[in-house]
Amino acid sequence: MRLGVVVQRYGADINGGAELHARYIAERLARHAEVEVLTTCARDYVTWRNELPPGPDTVNGIPVRRFRVRRPRDPERFGRRSRRVFHETHSVADELKWLEDEGPASPSLVSYLRSGETRWDYLLFFSYRYYHAYHGARVVPGRAVLVPTAERDPAAGVGLFGPLFRGVRALMYNSFEERALINGVSGNEDVPGVVVGVGSEVPARTEPERFRQRYGVNRRFAVYVGRIDENKGCKELFDFFLRYAAREPDPLQLVLCGHSILEIPDSPHVRHLGFVPDGDKFDAVAASELLVMPSYFESLSMVALEAWALGRPVLANGRCDVLKGQCLRSNAGLFYDSFEEFAEALGWLGRRREQARALGANGLEYYRRHYAWPVVEGKYLEMFNRLSSEGRAPRAGWPPEIPGYWDRRKATLPPAAYAVEKVPAGPALGSDQWTVASGQ
Amino acid sequence: MSEFNIRSDSVNVEQIMKQIRARIREKRGVDYTEQQIRELAAVKLERFLDPQKVRSELLQQFREGGISPLPNYAFEDTTLFESHRAVLRFFRKLLRPVLKLLFNPNPLIHVLHLQADINTRHAQYTELSYEILHNLVLETTRLGIEVKNLKMRVESLSSRLDFSERRARALEGVVQYKAGDAPEAEAAPPAAGEAGPREAPREGGPAAGSPDARRKRRRRRGRRGGARGPEDAATAGPGGENAANAETNGDPEGEGHGDAVIGPESAEPDRREPEGDFAGTTGTLPWRDGDPDAGREES
Repeated sequence: MRLGVVVQRYGADINGGAELHARYIAERLARHAEVEVLTTCARDYVTWRNELPPGPDTVNGIPVRRFRVRRPRDPERFGRRSRRVFHETHSVADELKWLEDEGPASPSLVSYLRSGETRWDYLLFFSYRYYHAYHGARVVPGRAVLVPTAERDPAAGVGLFGPLFRGVRALMYNSFEERALINGVSGNEDVPGVVVGVGSEVPARTEPERFRQRYGVNRRFAVYVGRIDENKGCKELFDFFLRYAAREPDPLQLVLCGHSILEIPDSPHVRHLGFVPDGDKFDAVAASELLVMPSYFESLSMVALEAWALGRPVLANGRCDVLKGQCLRSNAGLFYDSFEEFAEALGWLGRRREQARALGANGLEYYRRHYAWPVVEGKYLEMFNRLSSEGRAPRAGWPPEIPGYWDRRKATLPPAAYAVEKVPAGPALGSDQWTVASGQ
Repeated sequence: MSEFNIRSDSVNVEQIMKQIRARIREKRGVDYTEQQIRELAAVKLERFLDPQKVRSELLQQFREGGISPLPNYAFEDTTLFESHRAVLRFFRKLLRPVLKLLFNPNPLIHVLHLQADINTRHAQYTELSYEILHNLVLETTRLGIEVKNLKMRVESLSSRLDFSERRARALEGVVQYKAGDAPEAEAAPPAAGEAGPREAPREGGPAAGSPDARRKRRRRRGRRGGARGPEDAATAGPGGENAANAETNGDPEGEGHGDAVIGPESAEPDRREPEGDFAGTTGTLPWRDGDPDAGREES
């Protein structure tokens, strides 16, 4: 079997959520198939500047082919277009321009896909919201499998993506909440789909004591791993944590691992370690009492899965449907909607170590059962086998024709945010099966 | 989903979250969720802020009046000469030096540019003010609720404190009585009407020696002793013992109190058990059966 992985950025040092996900999947599937990665020369997800050389490359033994991005993103213009598409009645032309302005627009990548369609049995497109996924899936209609990595943000309601979700051969979802969202905005329940997520390269042995000695962390602590950013809920986390520390007689310490673009509070209860290597990161999680995940928008949260893989409970932001659903399904994490809940839940986890350990054990079981690599690989391979048995014909109605010059300029599409708001929120706990369309 | 879920006997996240929420409710005293507090802040401001004469629809008015986006414009150096027609734009550019011969448009451009900037800043300031006001109102509401809860707790605590003080005074009285006055008490038991300040009639109530007062005491004794039965009364400790002794010593109303017990044999105070010290005060110590309500009744 020959597989292509198409993703917006790719590299050993590129650690964005979807990009890392794509790399892990490519490296794992390479054990079962010939895998080639097709990506752009961009490295920075804000500007999409061409920083890496175009052409063939190899990353961790996987052949990679890079294509130039037509132009870097103009943030001002993209912001203007986003406002129009998300919050105003707009046209198909507006959406197409929005997609192009968002970047990384790489027509050469799309041309390459078109010219060599038969080179791959299937092409895995990562991140539905980018240029390469929409235009790429159009040129290889019978072979496109989408890994949407969708969050509950207005982009999911953009009119262009409804036909994409209905038109690809299959979807590999990260969570039940993601599937519910995409089903809700596009009505694609009949498209084969499976909730699969991604595994992680968690080491077999960790050394918590080494971490404590190296970084001088002597107290019991809760750990946050990731970019320290307001968009990740860190500002609220700081506010809540300082209030918690002020009222608790023996509070946990908060240890932060990751680059910060936010001011870190000056408090003895908060320690910022900056970026730490992967080994130290896993040791930090293993040494901690729990992992805090304050983000409002996540499609999976690999860090939470890693904490569970290391037997640590998670305290998550309950306003993120995915995290809340994961905590409930795994029976391995608590969640909060307000400061009171945050303080009580953190206090509970800090005081009741036995029960916290039991939660962590549930997390480990959850990880082993659903996110261990053999399980994840098995789900991918099973899906490819199923698609092979159904032939190579594209789904009906895909790719849709783009309306003519005048028609695509008629402002008839509703605001994308409105389409997303219509879909019920909350953890997707109503399903009885972990796959719907695949019939398992 | 059932296959995806992890079930455990030892911990259940849903149950834990319920417990956590219940505990928050307990702490708050009143079951207000964040949402409810927000609603209260938006709708029932007058309940909390009336003393300051703050209008309940203040936020709404502020939002409508202050936040509604005022029209603004971007004003650049070239704005005056812009046109969507390229030809016109070209001629305007061509003739701009001629125009500048007739008057100087630069101050006009400068002032309008400044005004556009002021408008933008004003809009930002208004948004900020709204946010501050909104947060203040929320906090005030929250504090109002907390003050109410604290008042209730203070009242409850002060009544408990009163009760404890009364109990402590009575205990102190008993100890003094045992140490110094026991022989006197033995020699001259106080009359029913001289029971001391603790037994003084309540204002407007019947006098201690009056038939009404006796009936009332009998009723109380009946409630305490009678509920336990004669066997219990005999074995239940000093109070019950005392009551039984009072009967056997021919005191039909049991008002001999400790006299019958603190006889010549018990002239030496018994210091072994605290209860023993209460023996001489049965009938004046309301909590002898461990019933705090009895104390309230007395007071």
